Amino acid sequence: MAGYAVSRRTFLSTTLGGGISLGFASPGAALAQSRRETLRHVTGGAVNTLDPTMLGSTRESFGLSMSVYDRLMTFGSRSIGDFSTFDPQALKGELAESCDVSPDQRTLTLHLRDNAVWHDGTPVTAEDIKWSLDRCVSANSLARPQFSSGSMSSAEQFRVAGERTLEISLPKPDRLAMANLAMPYAIMVNSRLARQHATSDDPWAQQWLQHNTAAGGAYRVGAFRPGVNVTLDRHEDWHGGNRPFFERIISQTVPEATTRAGLIERGDADIVIDLEAYDIMALSRRGKVRIDSIVQSNCFTHLAFNTQSAPFDNVLVRRAIALAIPYQDLFAASIFGRGRPLYGADWSGHAPAPDFPQPLPFAQNIRKARELLAQAGHPDGFQTTFSYATSQTTTAEPMAALIQEALGHIGITVRIDKLPDAQFNTMQARRQLDFYTDTAAGWIEHAYYFFYLYFTRDQRWNFSNWNSPRMVQLVEKARFETDEAAYVAECQAMLELLVDQVPLILLWQPNMDAVTVPDLTGFIYQYYRQVDFRTLARS
Amino acid sequence: MSTEKPLFPPLLRRIGLRLGAALPALFCVILFTFIMMRVLPGDPAVYFASGPNAGQAEIQELRHRMGLDAPMLVQFLHYLENLATGDLGRSLTTGQSVAQDMHDRLPASLELTLTALAFSLLISLPLGLTSAWWSGSIYDQCVRAFCSACFCIPPFVSGILLVYVFYYWLGVAPDPTGRINIFLPQPPRVSGLLLIDSALAGDWTAWHEAAGQLVLPALTMALFVIAPLTRMTRAAVISVLGADYIRTARAMGLPTWRIMIVYTLRNALMPVLTTVGIVFSTMMGANVLVEKIFSWPGVASYALDALVSSDYAPVQGFILLMACLFILVNLVIDLLLGVLDPRVSVE
Repeated sequence: MAGYAVSRRTFLSTTLGGGISLGFASPGAALAQSRRETLRHVTGGAVNTLDPTMLGSTRESFGLSMSVYDRLMTFGSRSIGDFSTFDPQALKGELAESCDVSPDQRTLTLHLRDNAVWHDGTPVTAEDIKWSLDRCVSANSLARPQFSSGSMSSAEQFRVAGERTLEISLPKPDRLAMANLAMPYAIMVNSRLARQHATSDDPWAQQWLQHNTAAGGAYRVGAFRPGVNVTLDRHEDWHGGNRPFFERIISQTVPEATTRAGLIERGDADIVIDLEAYDIMALSRRGKVRIDSIVQSNCFTHLAFNTQSAPFDNVLVRRAIALAIPYQDLFAASIFGRGRPLYGADWSGHAPAPDFPQPLPFAQNIRKARELLAQAGHPDGFQTTFSYATSQTTTAEPMAALIQEALGHIGITVRIDKLPDAQFNTMQARRQLDFYTDTAAGWIEHAYYFFYLYFTRDQRWNFSNWNSPRMVQLVEKARFETDEAAYVAECQAMLELLVDQVPLILLWQPNMDAVTVPDLTGFIYQYYRQVDFRTLARS
Repeated sequence: MSTEKPLFPPLLRRIGLRLGAALPALFCVILFTFIMMRVLPGDPAVYFASGPNAGQAEIQELRHRMGLDAPMLVQFLHYLENLATGDLGRSLTTGQSVAQDMHDRLPASLELTLTALAFSLLISLPLGLTSAWWSGSIYDQCVRAFCSACFCIPPFVSGILLVYVFYYWLGVAPDPTGRINIFLPQPPRVSGLLLIDSALAGDWTAWHEAAGQLVLPALTMALFVIAPLTRMTRAAVISVLGADYIRTARAMGLPTWRIMIVYTLRNALMPVLTTVGIVFSTMMGANVLVEKIFSWPGVASYALDALVSSDYAPVQGFILLMACLFILVNLVIDLLLGVLDPRVSVE
């Protein structure tokens, strides 16, 4: 009995003593680290992989990877008023120092930075870059279709031309090739490290890279807890841009939007970009936070029809609906006017500029809408369903109600169908939605690229399932067009075709509202619609 | 000595029998959730192959990788085969294996639920006991009103209100984001329960922080279950108070506290304990709103996220886990009932 007691007591004291000494030994480094040098980002989404090219990676994963991995190229920035946004025209080197284009525009020569090193300290070599590019076009990933939009589809197109030089040869001059090297998917990987974890089933180490990194970007991953938080520590030997201000980044998942708003307002978190419009209005009234409200220039919210099924296969019906929509009211009720309208332009016939998205000449005209509907053979209207995804509820719910009311004026009875996101996406991909709203963002701001992605081919992102031989022809031609004037004319023709055929109705470009503590500066709106931690600083 | 029955074999046999009897129920749960997930309209491959430029080929590839292109029966057999080896599948939402996710997240839910249960028992047992003792009095009416009020307010309302008042307005509560201050390192994992792990590590700052983070979410959950527990205690105590032995105890002049605690409460605990078992199991699964409001990295919010994105494996894993927990909790409750009242354990 006594023996037992002693041993139990010894056990307890050893464990506790050991525990206490451990407690003292742990440096409490994070505690000591100044809050000033730490950035806390809160988001409703979650990072689910450290490799953004993985099938199924979330948008938050793209955003995080921009700070962790370098790309060969990157976009510069420009200011609009008090705010900054990425500049789609200003491509510059990131891991590459420069990129030369041959006179025939079929060879890109990339010169790597001399001082570039991976996180483990080993120098970046042309072989690493070759392996990374090969991975982009060979592995089964999201990078492959993206790279094919820049005419890069085979490993043979990439050639090591020197210790720090690499050549990319293109079958045809492609205006998107260089921009593709700056995309979130175009990560440059430490091939020596990654290869150690490759297997015969998985030659590109995709499994391992989901939860580990072989990178050289501005930050290295400290802790990664999927769906909870990720911490990043600054990579002190990074030379791909200006040295980031923050030593440490914490990106945390906070599902409740109201909680995120509260955290920023009380100064416990530093930046959030996914708040609800009504929270933003309230925050801006109370004035305790800084709000960078920037138009998402590569983004558009729209109403799509299924152009392959009745009654929307009739262009007159689509035109009638485009005339019946109360654009102003939708804009005010749905996003409180925080954005840029894509309707109400005053041109007709000839498009003034080759840009997309741009305001199109649509406005409400109920009388004309009725006439068109009668011409289309539906003088008494018809019944249809308007769908939206649950995640869009705050903006789509008022929109749906207004559309229901407005179309009621021309005799169309609208049933509103709110669908869980997975179901909405599935039905969208299977062409089972007749009339719905969605928002899209193209990563490369070239008019032709938008038309290629969203208005051609039998694929999910052709929202209105539009099959126009004329559009396909224009897109094919514009893609490899080397004559700038001809390219502009082709893009204008695409816009005019869009206005004439109305496969979908453009509504607006919503603002991105980056809400931060007052002393945070340097936010830049990025085309991938996430926070770029590298440019942020405290004043 | 030879007449003394060995203690363990019958007990163990009883546990074994109970677990064995649960197997068919478990199989039904597995089959049901498997079919249910596939009947739901929503294709995980489409949802997850959602990057720009991801077309039909990528959707098809993902479907193939997830084994969704096989016939349903083959998929089910494959699933059972994996289950037998402890493989619950992979979550697309987190990119991890479901078993790993459960291992990471179950302690968070358990710690929260156990704390909430402790809170609610601390409140309901005295309330139920005293309101039964003075049943029909104004005090009893007040307790009844309090219970009704708690039960009427859904957790997401009381949670948001508590956050608003104690964090946002008064600033006394820590920010409602997770189990521990984000700027603090987590104590080394032993049990996964932060209060235990930080105590073991002697890290009292962490213990304090973790305890602070627990208060509001646990209180939110506790509020909702105070009503059933208090009412159940009150009813049980009232029925015991009418018993002969209480009258005898009173007649013998025993002190009131002794009659209340030793003779009444102990004998009234049986139905309360049964209710506790049910309440605990319900709380584990139903605390999803509380987990969402407080960014609690638990299993319920994990399963909800997976359900919204039609991510099959995590939902199936979660329901299976809940079913197992339910069986275990009921078993433990039954054994405890045996301790409270020896007549129960007689087979």
